[in-house]
Amino acid sequence: MDESYANLPTSHLLGSVPAVISEEKKTSSYEVPEANLQLFPPNNGVGGTPGYQTLGSSSEGVEQQSTNNWKGVFNISSYTQYFNVDTDDVLNRLRSSLYPINGDFFSKIEANPDLYGLIWIATTLVFVIASLGNCATYLMEKRSGTSSTSWSFDVSYLNLAASAIYGYAVVVPLGFYFLLQYLGSNASLVRFWCMWGYSLFIFILSSLLLVIPFEFIRWTIIIIAGAASASFVAMNLRSHIEGNDLMMVPVAAFVLQMGLALFIKMWFFA
Amino acid sequence: MSHSDIIPLHSTSQSDIDEIENLINASVQSGPATVLPARPPSPPRIPVSSSPFIPSNLQPPPLLPKPTPVAAAPPPPPPPRSSGNGQGIAAAGFGSPPNTLTEPVWDTVKRDLSRIVSNLKLVVFPNPYREDPGKALRDWDLWGPFFFIVFLGLTLSWSASVKKSEVFAVAFALLAAGAVILTLNVLLLGGHIIFFQSLSLLGYCLFPLDVGALICMLKDNVIVKVIVVCVTLAWSSWAAYPFMSTAVNPRRKALALYPVLLMYVSVGFLIIAID
Repeated sequence: MDESYANLPTSHLLGSVPAVISEEKKTSSYEVPEANLQLFPPNNGVGGTPGYQTLGSSSEGVEQQSTNNWKGVFNISSYTQYFNVDTDDVLNRLRSSLYPINGDFFSKIEANPDLYGLIWIATTLVFVIASLGNCATYLMEKRSGTSSTSWSFDVSYLNLAASAIYGYAVVVPLGFYFLLQYLGSNASLVRFWCMWGYSLFIFILSSLLLVIPFEFIRWTIIIIAGAASASFVAMNLRSHIEGNDLMMVPVAAFVLQMGLALFIKMWFFA
Repeated sequence: MSHSDIIPLHSTSQSDIDEIENLINASVQSGPATVLPARPPSPPRIPVSSSPFIPSNLQPPPLLPKPTPVAAAPPPPPPPRSSGNGQGIAAAGFGSPPNTLTEPVWDTVKRDLSRIVSNLKLVVFPNPYREDPGKALRDWDLWGPFFFIVFLGLTLSWSASVKKSEVFAVAFALLAAGAVILTLNVLLLGGHIIFFQSLSLLGYCLFPLDVGALICMLKDNVIVKVIVVCVTLAWSSWAAYPFMSTAVNPRRKALALYPVLLMYVSVGFLIIAID
């Protein structure tokens, strides 16, 4: 009976274990030609079966993939393929999101789309509009001469901002992905999420300017920023689904992005 | 005393009551303040019966000297202590005894507090002769971070004039979820850290912001608040920087550090803005 105690997993209990995670060993022992970035969620068997060595035959791999489908979802190492970017890559993509006309974003992220941009640009945007929205209402109230003691920090801005931005950033690309699949053109969900995520970057910069408490300036700024971001999305979509005669899809994306811009202005910087 | 309802799992295992008896006998024989007699290392055992044994109640009778608790040489078992003693014993595994069951509660609390203080000194305070900042906090625990997060939430909630409970909820959720997400971020970028060690470290780095929040609650001037928050923010980020930056590939250092900065700046902003 006490032989079984030797096998108890105790590495997570002691604090003096050196900082190496065994998941890395699993990924290095598993030979995969390339990670399958077309599919989301990942369904390769990386990390799913420890010690499994593929023999390189694709039929075996496919069977193994279908049985290991759910094991891959809960293991972190199967998601690292979507975060395989360096600082320089991220900065390049941010810079290219500021040029609304080019329409070549998809070719830049073809080999290596990343979800890092989506997650952290969305989070930064949530925080920025919640906090600067509060600043903006404070400045408006001070400027309009009423007693500023009636202003208090409104925490519900954070909830609203989080729901709106995260909801938009996750649901809209999903919707377009399904729409394009239905209409026959092939699309890649990860690349859509990546592009929409980077398109939100310009709103962060414009939010910094939206604090200025003059209505006319605010409206100008938001319309310019909204138009830039929306045309970025629309141009890229158009170049992605080239060849097909689906003009409505980029137009719909343009309209939605402008809607987001107006929503930000009206709810947070009123 | 024989307890027929407790099944010994090993020939050398003893019930808790027997262990107390042995301690009492040993201390009576050899007087106070001596080392306990060696006995064969008791293997980890799972208490089969739910014993009504509560450590604080079992002081030996007052006419006998109290058996001195063994110095805490082995790494302390992970929290929570009261329910985790069985697992703590299983984790320690080696002989020097599960006297954490028999020691007074004050000793347990004192040991935890001293561990929190030593971790705090290691993580937060400036020490240019730190041997390897990346390996700080071998002895991680989650009590310290828990206290700091709750204290920060309470301080913010107290300073708020409206929507107090929502402020606490937002602060707590932001910090707790933020620590988890930051750790996941490093793991996803291909870095090497231990999950709970990182949670523990990010919690300890909140200590300067706690101090800042307390000062801001007491002094309600905006300029003072801005200065205090800036200083404590810089301090927190400085404390968290070496750990986070050594955990990832140097080309991705900024990607791992930016979210940490974002979280601390947002907490700092909450501290300034709540009045």
